Amino acid sequence: MDEPEGWYAVALGADIEPSTSAGTRLFGHELVVWRDAGGAVHVWEDRCPHRGMRLSFGFVRGDHIACLYHGWRYDTAGQCRFIPAHPDLEVSPMIRTRTYPCRERAGLIWVRWGAPAEEAEPAPVAASPLRSLYLEAPAARLAAALGEAGPDGLVRFDLAGSPVLVAVQPLAGEASAAHIVVPDTPEAPEADLGRLAAACVTLRRSIEGAAP
Amino acid sequence: MSLRLYDYELDENGYKVRLALGALGLACETVGVDMVPGAEQTRPPLIDLNPLGTLPILVDGDTVLREAEAILAYLARRYDSAGTWLPQEPVAFGETLMWLAFATRELHAATLARRAALFDLPGDGPALEGRARAAFRVMEDHITLRGFSGLDWFAGTGPTIADLALFPAFALSRDFGIDHEAYPGLRRWSRRVRGLPGFRTMPGIPDYH
Ligand code: FES
Repeated sequence: MDEPEGWYAVALGADIEPSTSAGTRLFGHELVVWRDAGGAVHVWEDRCPHRGMRLSFGFVRGDHIACLYHGWRYDTAGQCRFIPAHPDLEVSPMIRTRTYPCRERAGLIWVRWGAPAEEAEPAPVAASPLRSLYLEAPAARLAAALGEAGPDGLVRFDLAGSPVLVAVQPLAGEASAAHIVVPDTPEAPEADLGRLAAACVTLRRSIEGAAP
Repeated sequence: MSLRLYDYELDENGYKVRLALGALGLACETVGVDMVPGAEQTRPPLIDLNPLGTLPILVDGDTVLREAEAILAYLARRYDSAGTWLPQEPVAFGETLMWLAFATRELHAATLARRAALFDLPGDGPALEGRARAAFRVMEDHITLRGFSGLDWFAGTGPTIADLALFPAFALSRDFGIDHEAYPGLRRWSRRVRGLPGFRTMPGIPDYH
């Protein structure tokens, strides 16, 4: 599939709690998204340099992520720092994973894919997490149903009468995700998040049911 | 009290019972059964304890029970003096039973898919996987919606045997090729289950040493 360069949301920030990791995909490439104990997020290729196992099956300790299989530990720069079978070894700087630039904005975790033209970081948006919807539908069908994203990667969408912001993640050919947040607006009444979360289920049904 | 459990270590139905024994802090003698490849549970003497030839089987004095969900309900009613694991309150009780039925029926596809993958048994892999994904999606929607009401568990207000019955299929889903990518709500819920006092792991559910 085409892999347009740019920033893509890969999770709601709230769904990646401190000291946890999760696997996901972007254009079919497996990624691990993890948050260290200090709260910083990291997005890497989901592959342990040792034998290629998925790092998202592993676990986070402090500011390291450890592979489940043989316990190799990687620091926040993706550099392997510790190999349990050789505890005294000074690990070679060649043993490192591929890392991607990432940031948090509008309650979402974003990864930079490719080398998009450097633009100033978009202004922060105050928003509350709603939910991530995972759909069996290609990302293009989501774009057709929701509308095109603005330059900041967010689609402004009306969900059951309330404005929401949506970021579409192309997972792989027939699979995609819509990460949905509700903008915090001081003048508006507090959004009924439960009602909107229920409306997400209806939205998913209508997009999946739509003719390709 | 002397509890005896006939169990096969890799069986997720037996694991449900082990989770309940841990949560309730109960001592239990475990009798390992050669389910794969031996199918020991389908022959005497076990077939005389359970004519269905299935595992797990719990023996408590003169009581002999089969079906993991029934065993969980029995253990909770009998040994949980606080009465929280199988709540008395009618709504929470009904919800607990609803999810126990879900664990037995909808998640059976996950059990079969996992057996087919682990033990090379015949089975329509893609169809089973599709049904397991559909069931996980129902669970994901439910736990996500409840989160907006400040509820962290499947039924009632606290952890129940429904959570213990639902946990193994999801936690072991990578054994049959379903990653946790699409289930952020279930990921967070399974962390809560892992944090319950007396929680135990099994092969396939890593112990983060
Ligand atoms: S594959 Fe990761 S430590 Fe061996």
